[in-house]
Amino acid sequence: MNTVIQIENLVKRYGELIAVDHFSLEIQEGEIFGLLGPNGSGKTTTINCLLSLLAYDKGTIRIFGKEMTPVSYDIKQQIGIIMQNVAVFDELTVYENIDYFCGLYITDKARRKQCVEEAVAFVGLEEFLKFYPKKLSGGLLRRLNIACGIAHKPKLIILDEPTVAVDPQSRNKILEGIQELNRNGATIIYTSHYMEEIEQICTRIAIIDKGKKIAEGTKDELKHMIRNTETITIEVLGLTDDIRRQADALPHVYKTAYDGEHLTVCCSGGKHNLIRILDVLQKHDIGFGRVYSELPTLNDVFLEITGKELRDQEG
Amino acid sequence: MFLHNLLYEIRTGIRTKDVILWLMLFPIILGTLFKASFSGLYETATAFSTIPCAVVENKENELLHTVLDSVTEGEDALLSVTYADENHALQMLKDGEICGILYSDDRLSLTVDEEGVKETVLKSFAEQYNAQQTVIRDTMEHDPMQLQAVIDALSADVSPITEIPLTQGNTDNYTAFFYNLIAMVAMYGMITGLHITIGSQANLSALGARRCCSPTPKFISLAAGLLGSYLVQGLCMVICVTFEAFVLKVDFGERLPLVYVSALLGGIMGVSLGFFVGSINHFSENAKVSLSFAVSMFFCFMSGLMVSAMKPIVATHAPWFNNINPAAIVCDSFYYLNIDSGYDRFIGKLVTMVMISVIFTVLGAVMSRRKKYASL
Repeated sequence: MNTVIQIENLVKRYGELIAVDHFSLEIQEGEIFGLLGPNGSGKTTTINCLLSLLAYDKGTIRIFGKEMTPVSYDIKQQIGIIMQNVAVFDELTVYENIDYFCGLYITDKARRKQCVEEAVAFVGLEEFLKFYPKKLSGGLLRRLNIACGIAHKPKLIILDEPTVAVDPQSRNKILEGIQELNRNGATIIYTSHYMEEIEQICTRIAIIDKGKKIAEGTKDELKHMIRNTETITIEVLGLTDDIRRQADALPHVYKTAYDGEHLTVCCSGGKHNLIRILDVLQKHDIGFGRVYSELPTLNDVFLEITGKELRDQEG
Repeated sequence: MFLHNLLYEIRTGIRTKDVILWLMLFPIILGTLFKASFSGLYETATAFSTIPCAVVENKENELLHTVLDSVTEGEDALLSVTYADENHALQMLKDGEICGILYSDDRLSLTVDEEGVKETVLKSFAEQYNAQQTVIRDTMEHDPMQLQAVIDALSADVSPITEIPLTQGNTDNYTAFFYNLIAMVAMYGMITGLHITIGSQANLSALGARRCCSPTPKFISLAAGLLGSYLVQGLCMVICVTFEAFVLKVDFGERLPLVYVSALLGGIMGVSLGFFVGSINHFSENAKVSLSFAVSMFFCFMSGLMVSAMKPIVATHAPWFNNINPAAIVCDSFYYLNIDSGYDRFIGKLVTMVMISVIFTVLGAVMSRRKKYASL
């Protein structure tokens, strides 16, 4: 597989603040690579450095094997960018917007027309071609934003938080679209602080915090990096400290917590953990309500590595 | 790629709400208001009413009768004549019913009680009659068909509304407001100029960032933006001048095509200023928009858009400022075009506009060609 992106030792400072701290990364052709991190972790700054929009203090960036500079027009020709902020003209219709941005890459009119029509169909905006952006809902606007970025059929597509403030239906449509683009041959970089989205579509993930890459791998690899293999939550009232300590002492249980309504038990490996915990409750004749057993999430990975929750950071 | 960019620059330009409001509708509305206000003032200032007078005939004078019959006809008659004996006429003069008494002998003589415009007109009428009565008599005897033309000429000579033929065009104060209005539209070109840089700088807008990520070189993007803005601004200038000249009937003199030339150059100058302001690195988009409005209104204020006395005040206390104030330069170009028979001063103003445009366009281009940003 060819290396599409190679970032080595990237450092970006804003005065005293180190926004990107010795960040290295390799992305292979055909991947959907997720950059996961809380707001302000350095995802967008990394992307802006990658695109040569931002000057950086140290490091090298190579795309398609060539050094990326502001005048690397041959590289830019193969990149599609979907920014966090919607970047379309309010004065142009849906069709005109897509045609304009596609025209920055493709000069041949007939080919451009075909590409624009395919992009319109891809994002499902056929019925809104003559609409101005202000008449579109948030979800449709995001779809237009995506169409403007992918109409020229780029080999590398960078999506920087494309689903912010999008309704669930549009979000699913967008995520399915990204996977389809990938199946059609595009390499994808997807940044988000929504771990569910990253888990859903990305083949490999880098977790970033405070400008540093703290973990990298497939979602399974990442989850194997931590102790937690299962988190069991039980609705229970009137649990004493003594009983909680008994649960804590069970094999493979490494942490328990009780908030007066829910007993949370974190397990590391082992089988039948849930049965053993329920046995403890039954032995003390304690009734319980709903029971949940969850496999570890990327939030657990982030929590265990950084000591804080991804979700807490969401703006 | 350049044409593609240019086409869309024009398309977005003419659909931009700010452009439609401030560069197309606002001047039309303001111009119409100017016209409505000034028309009343102008008519008041130049209103003329028929002058009442008495004629005391010491001797029968058929020629005078003919002339008086002619100048007392119609709604805009010069005189309103009452034939009376001397005592009655003097009493009427004393009572203020008439402005003067014309005594008819071989010559006309005049008695007035006051000094004023109407009395001056009567005096002038009497003098003209005395000077031309031989011509009038000869015409009446030998070519009666031309008699009315001769009497009209006499009437015109004594009219209180006389254009002073020192200049080619209209130099009244009210026209200056319309010059200023065109200058204001030219200065509002800063708004269109501003959009070029805002839309092309990655640190100012998401659109700029997206464009910077494309393989279109920034030079092409900026060149298309500038040309597109010049064309859109040019359209606004043409609309403004055309509306003033042909709808509001503002008198721009006999060299209207050159008024268009000057207005177009003024518009280009405004766009260049906006392009420069937009390329200044350390301000946000909102700050730049506010700055552009403030600067353009300041220039217009100093050239007399809001207070007509401002320009002479500046000319007295800081004459150099009128030579660098873009709004004043545009106004002066119209003024010189109107009052000068030659083109020297007019061309001087055009050259100044071109120089300002070139300087600020070059400065803006140099500052906009930054490739990477320290922060976004």
